[in-house]
Amino acid sequence: MAVSPLMRQAYPVWPALIAAIACAAPLVAVAALAVSGEWSGYLTHLWSTRLPVYLINTLHVTLISGSLAVLLGAGLAWLVARYEFTGRSVFEWLLALPLAVPAYAAAYGWFDLTQAAGPLGMLPTVRGATGAGLVLGLTLYPYVYLLAREAFSGQSSDAYEAARTLGARPRDAFLRAALPMARPAIAAGLALVVMETLADFGAVSHLGAPTLTVGLIRAWAGEGATADAARLALILVAIAFLIFALERAQRARARQTSASGRRRPSRRIVLSAPRALAAAALCLSPVLLGMVIPLGRLAYRALSAPVTRDLVSAAQNAVLLATIAGVLAALIGLAAAYALRTGTRRGAVAARIAGLGYAVPGAVAAMGVLAILGLMQTWIDTAWNGMFGSVFPVMLTGGVAALIFAYLSRFAAAAIGPADSALSRVTPALDGAARTLGASANETARRVHWPLITQGALLAALLVFVEVLKELPATMILRPFNFDTLAVIAHNYASDERLGEAALPALLIAAVALPPMIWIARRIVRSEGVRAEDVHAEAGH
Amino acid sequence: MFRHFSAAAAAAAFTLSACAPGAPDAPDAGEINLFTARHYASDAAVYAAFTEETGIRVNVLEAPADQLIERMRAEGARSQADVVITVDAGRLWRADQAGLFQPAPELAETLEAVPANLRHPDGHWFGFASRVRVVVFARDRVNAGEINDFLDVADERWRGRLCVRSSNNVYNQSLLAGLIDAVGAEQAESWAAGVAANIARAPQGGDTDQIRAVAAGECDIAIVNHYYLARLQRASDSADRAVADAVDMVFPSLAGRGAPFNVSGAGLAANAPNRDNALAFLTFLLSETGQRQFAELTNEFPVVAGVTYENDVLDGYPEITPDPVNVNVLGENATAAQRIFDRVGWP
Repeated sequence: MAVSPLMRQAYPVWPALIAAIACAAPLVAVAALAVSGEWSGYLTHLWSTRLPVYLINTLHVTLISGSLAVLLGAGLAWLVARYEFTGRSVFEWLLALPLAVPAYAAAYGWFDLTQAAGPLGMLPTVRGATGAGLVLGLTLYPYVYLLAREAFSGQSSDAYEAARTLGARPRDAFLRAALPMARPAIAAGLALVVMETLADFGAVSHLGAPTLTVGLIRAWAGEGATADAARLALILVAIAFLIFALERAQRARARQTSASGRRRPSRRIVLSAPRALAAAALCLSPVLLGMVIPLGRLAYRALSAPVTRDLVSAAQNAVLLATIAGVLAALIGLAAAYALRTGTRRGAVAARIAGLGYAVPGAVAAMGVLAILGLMQTWIDTAWNGMFGSVFPVMLTGGVAALIFAYLSRFAAAAIGPADSALSRVTPALDGAARTLGASANETARRVHWPLITQGALLAALLVFVEVLKELPATMILRPFNFDTLAVIAHNYASDERLGEAALPALLIAAVALPPMIWIARRIVRSEGVRAEDVHAEAGH
Repeated sequence: MFRHFSAAAAAAAFTLSACAPGAPDAPDAGEINLFTARHYASDAAVYAAFTEETGIRVNVLEAPADQLIERMRAEGARSQADVVITVDAGRLWRADQAGLFQPAPELAETLEAVPANLRHPDGHWFGFASRVRVVVFARDRVNAGEINDFLDVADERWRGRLCVRSSNNVYNQSLLAGLIDAVGAEQAESWAAGVAANIARAPQGGDTDQIRAVAAGECDIAIVNHYYLARLQRASDSADRAVADAVDMVFPSLAGRGAPFNVSGAGLAANAPNRDNALAFLTFLLSETGQRQFAELTNEFPVVAGVTYENDVLDGYPEITPDPVNVNVLGENATAAQRIFDRVGWP
């Protein structure tokens, strides 16, 4: 985008720079831990014993969850975008909802149902790398669905119809015209799915599929080897960066082929009765498998279990944390978006760095945050003591602030995308017009930008809200005394092997996450006619 | 509509949170900050009993032991923790190695009541309740006499018939750590290899899941902690009791030395800001009231002899001869044990 010198001066880059430093700090701390720690020979030992298994499992789980997510996400998005059948308008947003279900909750439910003595014991037990891949795919496919849905609804209909007019059969037209054009959106969704799969601990450990993340927790827990755990974490981060790079390459390649921006609602093909039934069944199955059945099992378990913990305050805590993190993430998102808008190199670098955190597994981010806060405390204490001769009155760890710091460093990336795309809707010409009419930069932001970007900012906040609700490892290690969240309680019961008691808090997470998920899904469905780029960017950077 | 809903929810969250925290009204006898790796809901009853007796409030942070240790390390001298509780002697040993405990000479007399092998040689930490690793078997397919020692579990006879959870689990790690002490690393490694070869299915779930698998016929024997079966036996859910009825349990010896006990243990944090209150709490754990509650609520064995409690399941156990070794060795051998697991491929 060509940027006028006027705009270049108008918006400061420093808020984004500060955000970027804060977001990347835990990752830097982990790298420092990895490099500075003692070399105990653990990695050599691991390489000759268990590391290959971790790598194979990681690959196995990721392949299954990724391909399932693409198949379901892109396939069903095509179905609801191009065909008309009973219930289509409901499925359109219903299909996004399994994202509200934490993968570990779905894993508890499915394993309990299908283990040998369970009510579905005649089915193969959902376990191992395949089982974990399926569960993760079924709860994460909405990322692909949401992005692909948007891409299919407008951008590629012209190409598809052109191909059809030129005599291509529907399948070929789909594969060769529509699909390639939606590929960046699908790749962006897939990148998120893969990232979450790599970082998952709850589902894979419950189902007995030791991935790299399980391995690094084992190094940490079994040997107390913080440095070695950090080194394993760096392998994970490296994989994640690779995926981001591939996704970015996809996007860059596709940009040349993207449509001019003119969009019209596509005409949907009305399906005959039997086909319509099949389409409805297809749409219903991932919702049943990813959400209704496992949650139903948990609900059944919850019925026969006593409620012994204060779930109300745990829900309040979870919502409070998620709200604060959501709002701040949206602000960081906007700051980064404005930095990008300046078109300066510094701005772009700052925005990219702020986005790095998404690739870091929660447990690793937590380790990094702990290390940083510990170090900062020592510095501040020393300085304070030098100046006032007393102890600095504030503890940096063990407060809500530490938690928010950890969440932001991990999830801010998810907010930058929507904010950036919302802001890009405000064309430079609008700025120019406002400024020509004598408005100051602030006034332009308030009166021209704000009305146009509120939706994008809200979307960013809600995505982060849902993520934080489900977040476990960082919450676990950093929270204050007497402060539980729903995810923490669910995990504690589950690790005490009391599935019945774990069921209710897990259900409540889904219940709290559902309204925002419904809002997100409906907003994206309604956004036909808005530029397709917008939603691609929801994938974050 | 949904937009309004979310806005309202967010507003509600802020309002609610404003009145959420706040200490309960109690005569102010101060507080203690507890870092605990126990995650039994019933522990709240123990804390409540302590608060009632002393007026001291108990602030709780529950998390896996390794995370608690990591946090205490990072917080250093500023750590707010007064007491650290874990469910495994190995973790207590590690916390002690990291310098996170301080000696408590004031407790020396109280600790006399704890068997010498269930506490740190210099009193840096002690077990306040104990648990034993056992073998559960299917009543209809296995005779109780077939397993007298954990060494038997590695026998080829059990090929494809054993359920045991992942070696990520600390209870398995401590079992092997104990065996290393008993028979040496080499023999312990061949034992672990034998057990790994006998495993019927890739491990998943916890100890309870292994018991369920035995009841369901997926395997014939399982290695678990005793209280998981006790919990099923005392469950209100009839399906759980049916599982418990289908199986029975033996208390095998560890290489002839006695049953492998482990502890729920506690230590006084190195930088405890409320040291006196912490000592009161540690003393309470060993009191009649405290000890009785562990037996009744979590089916653990009290460590203090002669404590009375009501628990039919525990009462029904035969006389168990414990391994006399100090549980401190479980920590010393933990790393060696984990590396053996890695080498023999116990998943």
